[in-house]
Amino acid sequence: MAQLIWNGLFVGSFYALVALGYSMVYGIIKLLNFAHGDLYMLGAFSGFALLGTFGAVPGGSLVALFVVLVLTMLVAGLSGVALERVAYRPLRGAPRLSLLITAVGASFALEYGVRIFAGPNPRVYPVRLDGTAVSVLGAKITVQQLVLMVVAVGLMLTLNALVMRSRQGRAMRAIALDPKASLMMGIDVDAVISRTFFIGSALAGAAGVMAGAYYGKIDFLMGFIIGLKAFTAAVIGGIGNLKGTMLGGLVLGLLESFSTDWFGGEWRDVFAFGFLILFLTVRPTGLLGERVTERV
Amino acid sequence: MKRPTIPVLPRTAHATSRVVALTSLFAVAALSTTGCNGLAGGSSEADDNGPIVLGMDIPMSGSSADIGPYMKNGAQLAIDEINAKGGVLGRKLKLQVEDDACDPKTAVAAASKLVAAGTVVSVGGYCSGATLPTLPVFGKQKIPMIIPAANSNELVAQQLDHVFLINGTGSQQAVAAVKWLTKEGAKKVAVMDDNTSYSKDIADLTSVKLGVGGAPARAGEDSVNPGESDYSPNVTSVLKSNPDYIYWTGYYQEGGLLIRQFRQAGYKGKFLVGDGSVDAKLVEIAGAANGKDVYATMTQTPETTPGAESWIASYKKKFGSQPGPYSTQSYDAVRVAAEAIKKADSTDGDKIITALEGLNGFDIFSGPLKFTDEHTLSNGGFVILGVRNGKFVLQDSLK
Repeated sequence: MAQLIWNGLFVGSFYALVALGYSMVYGIIKLLNFAHGDLYMLGAFSGFALLGTFGAVPGGSLVALFVVLVLTMLVAGLSGVALERVAYRPLRGAPRLSLLITAVGASFALEYGVRIFAGPNPRVYPVRLDGTAVSVLGAKITVQQLVLMVVAVGLMLTLNALVMRSRQGRAMRAIALDPKASLMMGIDVDAVISRTFFIGSALAGAAGVMAGAYYGKIDFLMGFIIGLKAFTAAVIGGIGNLKGTMLGGLVLGLLESFSTDWFGGEWRDVFAFGFLILFLTVRPTGLLGERVTERV
Repeated sequence: MKRPTIPVLPRTAHATSRVVALTSLFAVAALSTTGCNGLAGGSSEADDNGPIVLGMDIPMSGSSADIGPYMKNGAQLAIDEINAKGGVLGRKLKLQVEDDACDPKTAVAAASKLVAAGTVVSVGGYCSGATLPTLPVFGKQKIPMIIPAANSNELVAQQLDHVFLINGTGSQQAVAAVKWLTKEGAKKVAVMDDNTSYSKDIADLTSVKLGVGGAPARAGEDSVNPGESDYSPNVTSVLKSNPDYIYWTGYYQEGGLLIRQFRQAGYKGKFLVGDGSVDAKLVEIAGAANGKDVYATMTQTPETTPGAESWIASYKKKFGSQPGPYSTQSYDAVRVAAEAIKKADSTDGDKIITALEGLNGFDIFSGPLKFTDEHTLSNGGFVILGVRNGKFVLQDSLK
């Protein structure tokens, strides 16, 4: 039981980290950025490339990994900004369907673009987080898992503080409420949207490096499934709501963990996406999303 | 200030249905392109003096992309040898390769391209899940298929005239697996698959044989969904039954992750993997230290086949690299096709099928060839490999 909960929370924290980017972008410009999972993949690959370059640097692999993590967040963040500038901004006034199609196209472009450089075969990370497990309440937990979770939670808390406490965050929330009015109040809407893409993509990139170092295997299609899972997590928790999204990630992880145990591994995705449908029909605002009454 | 929530009800709902609509739009577009290809082609079939085209649907991209080139090279080697001796029926052979990406939809499109190119015999097929939907595509044109690598029982279960397997089938692989597990003295065996046709087939066939007639007991069965990174829920649920041997029948990408995650969870027993997992990458992904006690059921490869040294030498000379898995089977598929065309004295599909059924004692890597009534090998030729220094080497020939 404890093991199931731990498994779920661990996977869930990855889902949550990726889902935040989805949620933020949706919250601000109402775009489902389907290329978001591929930014996670891009993060994993740029981390792989950076580790290949800096791999020989002395100072321990964990330190190297941390430096690479920060650099990768920068790379993934800038890629997100570029993606928004090239693919989404020109379409900002266009119907939402055009944006959605563009997002799907951008996703394919990223996947097969990486394939050109990295090849179709899976790659194995040069630095691996291996550790012996300690038993806590009957669950086997490794120090590496704990470190990864602490990093993930730290990133999420930082983001929350940024959105809730800083001027930048206030501008983001204002745009979410009404972009036109924000513009008239003197907020540089384009800059804030760019920044949102930067933060969301950086978080996805960080998750990519962490997954690469922990699981060891990366390939150019790895972003697809996690993208869908992150979307599901965001919907379950309440898309557009940061705390809800984090909660949604953890809930999804737990759901998968328990459904696998009860019904067998083939039911894992059935459960995950079944819940997506359930939430969309019964409570589309998600767990923490609030129903806003229409004022006439 | 509390962050206002965005009303999402109608928008999300719309967006989701749009995704569905979008996907079906793509599917329709893909299908219609395929149809066009089929219509546009056909003219080359009438050409009786040009080369005889052998079509090959194999993964050149996607998750199994590294297998494609091995198969292509193996087939090309046979074609060059036959052409050097004057070809078949006075005509040269030509290999036409299409990428099926190990994906059912892509495979059907690729097969239609091969049909349009005037393929006489199909000598491809690696992923069973992708090969299955191509059976009717070739069947409609009476094009015989000699499948070198895909080996799900479902391929022959429909008892189609034109489908021949020159690789051991899933049931033969299951027999080999149980034989090895019994020999190893395993007590409780857990069987895991990846939900694909090929993998599920072997897993089910193996599970049935466990616990019967002196075979080790069955400790449960679990399926994973390919493409994920974290299989800890599966690992936890399988370990509850305390197996001392785990048989993984899927491909190496998930296999490597599973072996690693089982070891991290404290599993001390051994692993047996199916032929789809036989790749050096398996151990790389699992981590070098985790290669210990990993065995595999595998059809014979050049390295594990006695007397293949000269063949390996000519392969190396031509392509400058070591032959990989299924290069021998692909080589054999082309030779069997050529032999059948020669025997039939025609490129007519029905005549070639009759010739294939009549083959008796034609020498291929797995031994003299004679098809069973099911169009499978009468002797399967599965062997057990073990991991030494990160590579798979022959462990037991199960003779």
